Amino acid sequence: MNLSIANILDEIIASVPLLKPELLLIAGFIICIFCALFLQKWWKDSAFAACLATTVVLIYALVEQLGLSATGFSNMWLVDPVGTYARLMIAVSTLIIAIFIQQRYRAHNGDVYSVLLAATLGMNVLAATTNWLLAFIGIEIVSIASYVLVGFFADSKKQAEAAMKYALFGSVCAAVMLYGLSLIYGLTGDLDFRSAQHLQGLMTSPQAMVTIAFLFVFVGIGFKLSFVPFHIWSPDVYQGAPTPVTAFLSTIPKVAALILFMRLYKAWSAGGFYFSDLMVWFMITVAIVTMLVGNLAALRQNDVKRMMAYSSIGHTGFLLMSISAYQDTSSYILFYIFAYVVTNLAAFIFIDHIEQRTGTTELTGYAGLGKKMPLLFVCFTVVAVSLIGLPPTIGFVGKLMIFSAVFDLYGDTQATALVLLLIVGVLTSVISLFFYFRIPLYAFLRNADRQYMEHRGSAILPLLAYVLTALIIFFGLFPDLLLRMLG
Amino acid sequence: MGILSLLIFLPLFVTLLILVLPESAGRMYKYLALGITVIQLGISLYLYQVFDVSSAGINQVNGYQFVEQLPWIRMDLGSIGLLEIDYFVGVDGISLPLIVLSTLVMLMAIGASWNMTKSGKGYYALLMLLNTAVVGIFSALDFFLFYVFYEVMLLPLYFLIGIWGGERREYAAIKFFIYTLLGSVFMLLVIVGLYFSVVNPATGAHTFNMLLMMDPGNYTPDSFFAYANTYHNVLGLEPRLIGFIILFFAFAIKVPIVPLHTWLPDAHVEAPTPVSIILAGVLLKIGGYGIIRVCYSIFPDMAALTNWWIALIGVVSILYGALNALAQKDLKRMIAYSSVSHMGFVLLGIASLTAEGVSGAMFQMISHGFLSAALFFLVGVIYDRVHDRYIYNFRGLASLMPKYTAYVAIAFFASLGLPGFSAFIGEAFVIIGAFNAESMATGLPRWMAIGGSLGILLSAAYFLWTLQRMFFGQTRLFGGQAWQSALTDLSAREQIVLFPALALALLLGIAPSLIFNNLNSSVLQLIDLIKPFL
Repeated sequence: MNLSIANILDEIIASVPLLKPELLLIAGFIICIFCALFLQKWWKDSAFAACLATTVVLIYALVEQLGLSATGFSNMWLVDPVGTYARLMIAVSTLIIAIFIQQRYRAHNGDVYSVLLAATLGMNVLAATTNWLLAFIGIEIVSIASYVLVGFFADSKKQAEAAMKYALFGSVCAAVMLYGLSLIYGLTGDLDFRSAQHLQGLMTSPQAMVTIAFLFVFVGIGFKLSFVPFHIWSPDVYQGAPTPVTAFLSTIPKVAALILFMRLYKAWSAGGFYFSDLMVWFMITVAIVTMLVGNLAALRQNDVKRMMAYSSIGHTGFLLMSISAYQDTSSYILFYIFAYVVTNLAAFIFIDHIEQRTGTTELTGYAGLGKKMPLLFVCFTVVAVSLIGLPPTIGFVGKLMIFSAVFDLYGDTQATALVLLLIVGVLTSVISLFFYFRIPLYAFLRNADRQYMEHRGSAILPLLAYVLTALIIFFGLFPDLLLRMLG
Repeated sequence: MGILSLLIFLPLFVTLLILVLPESAGRMYKYLALGITVIQLGISLYLYQVFDVSSAGINQVNGYQFVEQLPWIRMDLGSIGLLEIDYFVGVDGISLPLIVLSTLVMLMAIGASWNMTKSGKGYYALLMLLNTAVVGIFSALDFFLFYVFYEVMLLPLYFLIGIWGGERREYAAIKFFIYTLLGSVFMLLVIVGLYFSVVNPATGAHTFNMLLMMDPGNYTPDSFFAYANTYHNVLGLEPRLIGFIILFFAFAIKVPIVPLHTWLPDAHVEAPTPVSIILAGVLLKIGGYGIIRVCYSIFPDMAALTNWWIALIGVVSILYGALNALAQKDLKRMIAYSSVSHMGFVLLGIASLTAEGVSGAMFQMISHGFLSAALFFLVGVIYDRVHDRYIYNFRGLASLMPKYTAYVAIAFFASLGLPGFSAFIGEAFVIIGAFNAESMATGLPRWMAIGGSLGILLSAAYFLWTLQRMFFGQTRLFGGQAWQSALTDLSAREQIVLFPALALALLLGIAPSLIFNNLNSSVLQLIDLIKPFL
């Protein structure tokens, strides 16, 4: 390091504009804490308002960054279109989640919004770095914020248990990942996984060490993405956590972790070295197993939230499949992520609304509800159709593009494993029909066997979900509009 | 908006209208549905009237009529290339008769649902959505568009069977859905493969255009589905053969063939009468249509290679379906199995690869379309009255319901292939085609034609035996006096639904050229397409 202090300072100052959205987030975070502490007495929704304002400003700042490709802080911070789009999706989803929480937990208002903003900050970090150190910090910020969110509204033993499980499992995974990172740093002497020195180091190190270090690192990422075998926490936590938090957990952190994983895969699998092969094989195997396990386990669930947890594991498998076909265009991955986020948010809002009105998250409890809430269940069916991946929905176009990408790669490489990947992807779509269609099955085909206390639900949330459902069909029919935006 | 798009999307518009109308306007729904299907039938008959019989279609875009082509989706996927999807519809001699058939059957279905009371709003909305999907499938010339309509068709059917069906409706609905979806998701993989193999010579982009997929010149050399490609062999099989087999199975499930037919008896028996009518009358034809339009036209080389096996499947379906029908004690189940048997003729005719055989197969599809619709309607008549259709529970209905008996007798005779009725023409041409196949060197042995004729004999056996068991002899009913009073003869509405179908059977039996004229050039074109590979 022969840079003089002055040069370093210059670079840091020059890089600050790249960090503008995150600085805004930090400011919003502090304002939220302030509001929750001091303004709450006079204005109940002050923290919520501050959170909304922050996300709106964040979205604006991110839109300004669109099209920008730059690095800052000595290559620690990376701004590129893929990352910016991902951060935009994160910001918009955060906005929806914030409204979701506000509508559902009016009494608890306050600190939860600052935690939510902190989580967003962590996810932004993940989506904008190729440096292991920052990536680890990002994962930890998201994880700690998620632990708090899961336990925040805990009023029953089940919820407390979910939070505890999540925290324990998460810390172990983080520790293992940190150990793997230390090994990698020791072997390469560089923390930027895209740098030449890093790859050089990996090539010259003993194979066994590198393999172990890889697997350790994947433990941490696997925990965030919840792919098999690091998925076991998610069904319990999804079921135990309050529904808005489940909606949060199943969507946004995955987006961020996926972007990181995508960059890592691109960097490591490109060369013809043994660890590239290792990475490719790891990816394909995990994708196949994750799709199978997620979808098969979902078949046996009776709790909708638990079923959605397994379904989201299955979708993770699909996302891994999309990464394994990642060459140089990422627009189809972003498209699938968008589809995944929109459909899942809509699904969880519906689940929550039904829970609020009838007090049930059991599938059997949905019996006959189709007649009472026809519009809601018609839209819920559309969401289910999109999750299966049938036309004319956004989920279908997303799947079609991933199949295309994998097929294209197969044309280049002739790897039989890719054919297997395609076949499993297709088969699991059929399997998923069974469990997703149990929702309309109970709602429309069965008759109610018991009466419920009817509660009035929030009016804004279903409206929001209907808008999301309309988007699902609209972008299913005209996907090029969305893709042109992402391209 | 062209006239074909109007035909496709009119029902969709009605679906939306029905959904917005308040529940208090409940009585409006059926009139709306009726009105729109009448208009649809009118439009399709008009198209049939002005159709130019000399232009062939199949693989030539200028042979198609009422063509509409609009760019729909253009996505730049970077290294994967430009995704080119068109809204591309048009009809030729293969699809137009089936469109007319489906509008007619749809009208019969509306007539059959006239007294339906359970949540009419959802029912008619779904029925109209199904209508859009079916006409869309028959007109789509872009594979993506075809696939979208194909899948959209499944959803309304699932709910129609599942909500308005009989006792085991949940099982039947999901079984039907799973069978078809299993076929179609693998079809999606083949579509993607074809997409990467075919290049639009005009734009240089990959395309989903089916007509471009039919021209061997548009395949990029060394692409996955390129002709005579052995470089990409999977498990020692040529990719084109694999693609053909997958597509064939996707459509064969719909036809259905033995042994993939097991969804059909369940779906037919559990479905309400109007849905059985649509299932038998239109949806089975989608299978046959798909085999001609997609499998045979896009993979002519493989069609020539495999036709022995396909004909064998056809013969097995004819015989197995007929033997099963003979053994059934539930009237609806018996007719469901007779459908399996009759659709076997379609497969045998297509596989004969002779002009007579393919025309016969098309004719058989049309004829079976409205005849099976009439048969299911007739079953619905007694089921509506006494909620039973067990054959041995009825005896001597002839004296109780003379008009009904007359209609049943005509429908049975027409279906079993009595000369003078449409089914005879279809089956006879299929058998002639299969018999000639040996002298035309298309590779079918003569015994298959004989197997097919045996099927006609068996169908005479089960239809006549049923007629004898249920309608002749001393009146004896399982339900006693209550049934006797419940079993009133056909109402005027029921006769209005039935009469046109049976009249049509007679008319087409006497003047088959009404259909053959429109078919002919397309069939010859299809044969020409496949001939070089024989």
